[in-house]
Amino acid sequence: MFSCYIVTFCSPRIRKTSSMAGMELLSDQGFRIDGRKPKELRRIQCRLGVFNQADGSAYIEQGNTKVLAAVYGPHETAGGRGKALHDRVLVNCQYSMATFSTGERKRRPRGDRKSKEMTMHLQQTFNAAIMTSLYPRSQIDIYVEVLQSDGGNYCASVNAATLALIDAGIPMKDYVCACSASFVKDCPMVDINFLEESSGGPELIVATLPKSSQIVFLEMNSRLHEDNLSKVLDVAVKGTKDVYQVLDNAVRDHISEVSAFHKLDQS
Amino acid sequence: MYSSSKPAETAKISVRAARPLEYYRKFLEKDVRPDGRELGEFRPTILNIGCISTAEGSALVKLGNTTVMCGIKAEFATPKTEEPSNGYLVPNVELSPLCSPMFRPGPPGEQAQVLSHFVNEVLNQSCCVRKEDLCIKTGKLVWVLYCDILCLDYDGNAPDACILSLLAALKSTMLPAVKYNEETEKPETDSVKTEPLHILSNPVSSTFAIFDDHLLFVDPTVQEESLATGTVTIVTNDNDLCLVQKPGGSPVTADQMNTCFERAFSRSKEVLRLIDEILHSIER
Repeated sequence: MFSCYIVTFCSPRIRKTSSMAGMELLSDQGFRIDGRKPKELRRIQCRLGVFNQADGSAYIEQGNTKVLAAVYGPHETAGGRGKALHDRVLVNCQYSMATFSTGERKRRPRGDRKSKEMTMHLQQTFNAAIMTSLYPRSQIDIYVEVLQSDGGNYCASVNAATLALIDAGIPMKDYVCACSASFVKDCPMVDINFLEESSGGPELIVATLPKSSQIVFLEMNSRLHEDNLSKVLDVAVKGTKDVYQVLDNAVRDHISEVSAFHKLDQS
Repeated sequence: MYSSSKPAETAKISVRAARPLEYYRKFLEKDVRPDGRELGEFRPTILNIGCISTAEGSALVKLGNTTVMCGIKAEFATPKTEEPSNGYLVPNVELSPLCSPMFRPGPPGEQAQVLSHFVNEVLNQSCCVRKEDLCIKTGKLVWVLYCDILCLDYDGNAPDACILSLLAALKSTMLPAVKYNEETEKPETDSVKTEPLHILSNPVSSTFAIFDDHLLFVDPTVQEESLATGTVTIVTNDNDLCLVQKPGGSPVTADQMNTCFERAFSRSKEVLRLIDEILHSIER
């Protein structure tokens, strides 16, 4: 497996050398560091229904990023009737990174600012996608755990949570698919990994409802010229459509497996 | 959730939910449990070693439906002044609301803290990793191994799964070779060369649940744990007994304890065979 980064150990401050000397994000032949073409997504492998206790669960691997999602609900609001919303469901998210998921050990798996920000983003994203009016005074819990982080954490979390929600049977307006994009040497690149993220270039993350091409979530870091914005956005939205294809196939395979098993059970 | 239209199925589901104790007693009369296991049978164990490449060592264990993942991260630290050539081994068990609706979000609950303490005791008592082996330069630099055990799906018998995942992860841990530079007083890590951790012994845990004050069965599921009147956890270390924990619960006779010890030793052999098989298959 291609080792994407080298971490030099030294205590107490740990320095990360994010790229070997002379390695470029986009080579002259048009290949990226991990050998992909600029418009190519990383390999996505996913499975639904991996856990027994959770109402819905999913596991997704996007390149080297491995994320688990578990959904509980809809159930009664924890914390009494005070927090319940009278006309829609309360979507409660928790984003957590395992301490061994990053090159440097993560001291606080959750509760630090970055995790809280991610949690809020996930909550807002799924509030838009789930048909919340169907379950008033109830709560849906979405737990996301990042086991290995190699860039695209938000995207993999959204994709995993979508699959877990489908596995739990919670009605949604559409799948929510997320993808990231960057712009290097006049070339828009899709699905950036950790090295490309930490290089300092612009990073655009978008989550869409693929069938209607509506954008649910969009975040842009660093500087990008306005002329290039539409190029990068198009590439990212196309990326979400490709992710949608993969997720949809996975869901269909899972359903045919499960229904075949049940038919055998009832015969 | 779909409901079956067959009346026998619905009757079975309602008896199981309304009177679980009687449901279990009917099976235990015939010396078998509802999932078809015998009293001394463990659930099928699946082990996956080295799954997380960002960690120095990792292992995923599935004991039936209970899924536990252990990740080992190594960092540098200065040793304690009273123990200048001892490294540190810091275990931590996390039972998050992801694994079961029983656990609430927030700081570690009672069960997680008890499990963390249990794992720490096992590591200390079994001496499977000598703290002196983690020393790089006496008095100046040692390794600290953070063993983070994360429960992903809780279906009973967390202690066994935690100890198994920890042992498997430790056995597969590769630490980078380090040289201590006397002049600059800084460590120099070799980015290519790695050394495996030296494991001296193999602690393996077996948990028994006491049912109805007189029956003992091994590897309880979460429903069996809730019906049990007590538990016994035995940790064996190759051919020795390492730790025995019986936190209250129904009293047990000495003969029953002896049967438990025998089962724990046979389980230890099964588990070690499994780990060795997998480690060999990785090396190839």
